[in-house]
Amino acid sequence: MPNPPDTEPPPRRQGRRSRAAFEAYAMLAPSILGFAVFLIAPIVIVVVLSFYDWNLLSDPEFIGLENYRELAGDERALKSIGNTFYYVLLNIPAQTVLALLLALALNSKIKARNTFRVLYVLPWMAMPVALGVIWRWVFDPQYGALNRFLDLFGVDGAAWLTDSSWAMPVIASVNVWQYTGYTMLFFLAGLQAIPAQLYEAADVDGASPLYRFFAITLPLLRPAMLFVLITSVIGSFQVFDTIHVMTAGGPAGSTATLNYQIYLESFTQRNAGYASMLAVVLFAIIALITLAQAALFRKRTTYDFS
Amino acid sequence: MKKIPLYLVLIMGALVSVGPYLLTLNAAFKSKQEILTSEPWALPANPIFSNFGEVWSRYDFATFVVNSVIVAVAVTIGQLVFSTLAAYAFARLDFPGRDQLFWAYIATLMVPQIVTLVPTFIIVRELGLVDTHVGLIMPFVFGFLMPYGVFLVRQYFKTIPSSIEDAARIDGAGTFTILWRVMIPMAKPILGTLAIISFVNTWNNLLWPLIITHSESTRVITRGIAQMQSQFNQEYHLILAASTMALLPLVAVFLVFQRHIVRSIALSGMK
Repeated sequence: MPNPPDTEPPPRRQGRRSRAAFEAYAMLAPSILGFAVFLIAPIVIVVVLSFYDWNLLSDPEFIGLENYRELAGDERALKSIGNTFYYVLLNIPAQTVLALLLALALNSKIKARNTFRVLYVLPWMAMPVALGVIWRWVFDPQYGALNRFLDLFGVDGAAWLTDSSWAMPVIASVNVWQYTGYTMLFFLAGLQAIPAQLYEAADVDGASPLYRFFAITLPLLRPAMLFVLITSVIGSFQVFDTIHVMTAGGPAGSTATLNYQIYLESFTQRNAGYASMLAVVLFAIIALITLAQAALFRKRTTYDFS
Repeated sequence: MKKIPLYLVLIMGALVSVGPYLLTLNAAFKSKQEILTSEPWALPANPIFSNFGEVWSRYDFATFVVNSVIVAVAVTIGQLVFSTLAAYAFARLDFPGRDQLFWAYIATLMVPQIVTLVPTFIIVRELGLVDTHVGLIMPFVFGFLMPYGVFLVRQYFKTIPSSIEDAARIDGAGTFTILWRVMIPMAKPILGTLAIISFVNTWNNLLWPLIITHSESTRVITRGIAQMQSQFNQEYHLILAASTMALLPLVAVFLVFQRHIVRSIALSGMK
């Protein structure tokens, strides 16, 4: 708010400031209260619980760093961390590259642009549980559309979801299917913000399309790229619904991501303390990756939070 | 003419994009036997409606729908009201600790739902709200989605020139009048975006209802579908009919408001 003119007497000025502060806190009160109870308190509690042994019912028992020590020898949990990275690596490059190519295609002069855009974004808002059910059917080795389709060409399709080497790529492909169109919208907005003169100038200089892409398009898409990568990586670490209905973490734990493992430990094994330790680990991984991404992009992208 | 390959690729991609919907809709009208014997892309020989009826009679599907609507609408309204109030304070008012508090909000955007899940469950249990609608709603309004809503609206408020507000203030308008008469009307696009994001996220969420509800009377659609899936693994005619009903409302809303929704999504990516 603007400073009051200097002619105003100090007491009045003081009064206006404290009144503004009072109004601000009044407006923020519900939000801050909720923030404290449903975000700050849970974050503090999860860290504290990670030093306890607790089955959600009896009295928690303090065991210090025991949960963290146990992790080193817990093959299932370590595997779930590996699964998570595998999933992110299957998911993010495919989704980002496809979305970028799609955005470039839909940014060119083609007919029915809006129709294509709508059709590609359609999967985004679909209920992931229902999608999981549908895709599970599509990938059904006997009755599913995919293997029936492959049959037409004499190809024997795999038992996708019960084959431990196929299950994770299948889950990742469902995610790519769901979010490519959505991600494309951010690239499309980024592309449309690039001034046309830049391309005209490049044309005058006789630049090739490939050169234009790497010299103009890609650098100017940095803010969109940073946003897309940060949000989709954070999102990838949280995949739950499709795994829950398509494989429930199987076969042989091959699709149990860390996120899913935390759910199993918390609510089926009832190891709340151990699960909290895993949650702290998950958060540390996400925070590190997000900061690393932000640092990598920092050189030319400034996010204006002011 | 040289664009033909591009069109072919785009059309194939679009088919992959909507194919699963069409296959599901198609299967929902087939009998149990026909789903197993016919090709998934073949049209039903004799379209039947009994699958839908069976879902409604074997489950209290109406209750699931009502619960999902109650929860999603309540969360959306809560988000709009509390995020707007907080966003205005962060964007325009001057008070001690403002920037630090805002950064704390931003930092929690990185915290996945699963990380705070056990503590949130404990807190809701302590409040005596397990298996209640309020218990379903509150953590969404104040926890899972809230910082994002505040961030989104605050960034938008920042782009509105403060000279407009100053003019209203000179005319004697108070803070709440300015918010209600000046800021909110100007921020309609972003509030629409927030409403869509809140509704879709809550409507589609499985994890929280899975943990906090157990009786039929509080069951939402997502939990109902997950339960059907585990009970009738291979009874595709039932679970596909249920999935069709779960997907159709949002697909319909999307197709009707597609222009606005597509713009909304792009808007949520601005800074």
